[in-house]
Formats: sequence, structure tokens, C-alpha cells
Amino acid sequence: MSRVTAASKGLASCHLCQKVASVELDKCPRCGTALHSRKSNSLNRTLALLCTATILYIPANIWPIMITDQFGSSIESTILGGVVLLIQMDSIPVAVIIFIASVMVPVGKLLSLFYLCWTLKSGSSVSPRQRTIAYRITELIGKWSMIDVFVVSILVALVHIGKILVIRPGIASITFAALVIVTMIASKGFDPRLFWDKEAENHE
Amino acid sequence: MSMHTHSDDQMACPSCDHLYDMSGLEQGQQARCGTCNHLLATYREHAYAHVVAFSISALIFFVLACCFPFMSFKSSGMESVMTLPQAITQIKGEGMWDLAILVACFILIIPALVMALTAALGISLLAGWRNHWAKDVAKLIFHLQVWSMVEVFFIGVLVSLFKIADMATVGVGIAFWSYAAFAIFFTLALSNLDTFQTWKNLEELEP
Repeated sequence: MSRVTAASKGLASCHLCQKVASVELDKCPRCGTALHSRKSNSLNRTLALLCTATILYIPANIWPIMITDQFGSSIESTILGGVVLLIQMDSIPVAVIIFIASVMVPVGKLLSLFYLCWTLKSGSSVSPRQRTIAYRITELIGKWSMIDVFVVSILVALVHIGKILVIRPGIASITFAALVIVTMIASKGFDPRLFWDKEAENHE
Repeated sequence: MSMHTHSDDQMACPSCDHLYDMSGLEQGQQARCGTCNHLLATYREHAYAHVVAFSISALIFFVLACCFPFMSFKSSGMESVMTLPQAITQIKGEGMWDLAILVACFILIIPALVMALTAALGISLLAGWRNHWAKDVAKLIFHLQVWSMVEVFFIGVLVSLFKIADMATVGVGIAFWSYAAFAIFFTLALSNLDTFQTWKNLEELEP
């Protein structure tokens, strides 16, 4: 391959400040962050965090995210239950937002990162450019899954009319928040430059 | 030229490692990677003056957003009004102190800290001070900004408005509009703080 990369010149780019320096240096000469040509151990680290996130996904969906106490009776609602309830209440736009943010984004992100890790192990016919773009979209949408956690927080803070109507946070709110945080760390630790390295290897 | 000499204008694409010489990039221009289309740098005109103006505006609106009522809820003749700090204590009061800490960090503590640090860094770069703290401040900003969820929270607030609009009369207060302004100025301030340019200037200003 004729492409000039930092690695091919014996250089590495600092993860934090983007300084290009000799890969033989341990630390970035500008900001002092540890210097690596590629994020260290990124594939295994990402896979381990993805497994953690998959496990967290189960309690986040089984347990209630929100509990509504009204006139002495309490209703527990899960993430999906909340979406169904919104559809029954004819609040279709809100149901769509919650469904995208709480179901499609986290599941899509997990599947996409698992797939991208898998292509590094077994090769892929999809071009590195397309996979890099897929990775960047995955990274960008990650934090938007937090919407439902914030919705629950606002409702808990706002809705308490004596003992008549009270909304309490369910245990899934914290497991779901943990799921989002873990997937964010997983995608941060992934290194898309490995797609291009693999491609260059195959051409040699 | 030997393999290990390099100028300060070199940049490697964070997505595909393609090496670029950035010395030709001028104020008001943007650079994208030709291989993978990653946005490499945006040199805005008067970038640091904008950073200072936007971050200080953001901080002012942040203070307003914390002090005034955020939303109110009226049902069965009773009204509850909340401010953002009260929202955090209310979640803690329900026994979810971990959720309270997370929400406080994502929507208040980290965003405010990032803006305060951004204002300090912007002033330092604008004035061209040679000091020892600017680099540490920049490191903190670039580490922390990923964990700020100002815009996500605001969409969450809008969703909850729709969700309870049928249940009761819901009102929004001064703090709601202040937080919206804070979110806008927060985004503007950070979009003017280009990573490559900031670090290049910090290196030139090393004491």
C-alpha cells in the first residue's frame, strides 16, 4: 500500500492532544499522556466491556425503571412496558423517541460493536472506510440512550403530590445508566485504525 | 529528511492514521481526511475570542438555571415546583443516591466544570499568557467533555413534558429557558475550541 500512515513512519499520534511523535517515546512530549501507536489491547478490552453491557441489559429490561404510586396502589413499569403504555395513551411521537433511545440505540450499538470486533478477527468484505464510518456513528449516538434515565429523573423530581401521586425511580434506572456508561467506555476503547492495518496486511 | 524529524504541523487521522501536513490550513477553513472523511480540524476566525464569550455566557445562564424554578406541576389543586438542585436531592430522597450522583455529574457538575475550565483556557490563549496550568486545564477539558450530557438531558426534559402533559398542568420556569441557553452556548464554546489548534498554540506558548 502506498498510503503514508504515522505508523509506517515510526510515528505515533497522542490519543489526547494529537501530537505526532516518535513511537519509541513512552510519553507524549507535549501533554505527558502515555503514547501508543494503537490503543493498547483495544479489541479484548472492547469485547470484555461489550459482554458486561450485554449482561447489564437483562436486569435493565426485566426490572422496573419507574414506579408510580397513585391512590395507594403502585404500578411498576419496565422500559418496554413504558413504551407500550405510551402507545396505548396515543402519545406516538414520545413512544417513538423512547423506543429509539432506550431500545434501538443500545441494542444497535452492542450489535454494531460486536460485528466490528468480529470483522477484525475474521476479515470482512466491507471496506475499512465504511466500517470506520459505522464506528463513528456508533460512537456519536452512544450517550443519547441516557434520555430515558433523565426522563425518569425529571418525573421523580417533579411528580409528588402529597401521598396521592408519587413517582419513584426503579432499580433498572441505575442498571440502564450503567449499561450506557459501559458501552460508551467500550466504544471509546475501540481503535478503528485496526481496520486499515488489517487491510494493509492483506494487500502485502 | 530523516525519518524521525517532524514538524509541529503534522497530524495523523485519529480514525485511519493517514499522515497529513496541516501547515496549509488557514483561518476559516476546515480539514477532512481524504481517506476516511474524518473531520481533522476546524480553524474558526477569532476562535478564542468566541470561546471566551460563549463560555462566560454559558456560565451566567448556568447560574440562572440552578437558582430559579425549572418546572412546575399542578394536579388536584396542589402544586409542586422544582429547581435543578432540588431535583437531585429529590432523587436522593427516594433512596437512589447513586442515580442522584450520576445525574448531578452528567447534567450539572461536569458541564459547569468544563465551561469554567474552557473560559480559563480561552482567556489564557487569547491573552497569550505563558503559564504552567493551561496544559493541565486543556487535558481536563478534553477528558471530561465526553461525559457532559447537556443536550441529551434537554431532550429528556422535552420528552417528560409531553409524557405528563395529560396528567396535570405542567409549567416551565426561568431556569428551563436558562438551561436551554446554557446548552446552546456550551455547544458553541466547545465547537470553537479545536483540539489540534489549541494544543499547537499551547506548545508555542510554553514557558
